[in-house]
Amino acid sequence: MTGLDPLIHAPTRLQLVTTLSAVSEAEFATLRTALDVSDSVLSKHVSALVEAGYLHSRKGVHAGRRTTWVGLTPVGRKALHEHVAAVRRLIDAVE
Amino acid sequence: MADEARRRLASGLRLPVGFYPALATGIAVQVGAAAYGIAAQATTGVAVALAGVAVFLGVAALLLHRFSRVNGVRVDGLASQVVLAAGARASVVYLGALAVAIVAAFGSRWWLVAVAAVAAGVGCALGARHWWHAYRHDPAAHARGTSPRMLGLLAVVACLGCAALLVVGR
Repeated sequence: MTGLDPLIHAPTRLQLVTTLSAVSEAEFATLRTALDVSDSVLSKHVSALVEAGYLHSRKGVHAGRRTTWVGLTPVGRKALHEHVAAVRRLIDAVE
Repeated sequence: MADEARRRLASGLRLPVGFYPALATGIAVQVGAAAYGIAAQATTGVAVALAGVAVFLGVAALLLHRFSRVNGVRVDGLASQVVLAAGARASVVYLGALAVAIVAAFGSRWWLVAVAAVAAGVGCALGARHWWHAYRHDPAAHARGTSPRMLGLLAVVACLGCAALLVVGR
């Protein structure tokens, strides 16, 4: 199906990019809590999406400890919009 | 499911305690200082205006830092509301109150300067409150705003402008 993005089609990745669309950047632990996933699962998805250019990450400090901040890039935001539009077209076609 | 995670994150976000009063106070101080500084038309006046900008920027930076620290997220839309009074109504209230304060300062009607400064602070705080409710309702549509880098640049330009006035006014 044209427009469906295999990089963000998996439920956890779709949750991740959708959640990040609500903020400019989120701290790793905050994302982990919101998505209810383990550190390793979140880390794996973040790494893959950073490599694809959909997310950016930077090291920072939160509440006095070193942590990672993650945000959606313009490329990732565009990919999310296109993916959601494709899903909507698919739903319309089925209905 | 994806939307649920986003809603869970957005609904869990909290503004720091005393956010609106602190924002209103910072803006009121900045407007009052700017009105006095412009009306004084002297080096000390520009210094007072510059001090007002510094107080406001300090309050804004503290509020945004506390928001980020409490919630573990950064929202550029909120930063734009706090630093730039980005909403249409807040901008109109701010500019209108600043104009009234400046005119009142030239006429030495200091009670009116105080009233206008408080009105500016309350108007901008209400604007931020309105934005916050809209953001909570639809976070994706309201999250974006001016980046911290650009806000920092604007703050530097504002301070340099005041400093230039200070030098020229000598």
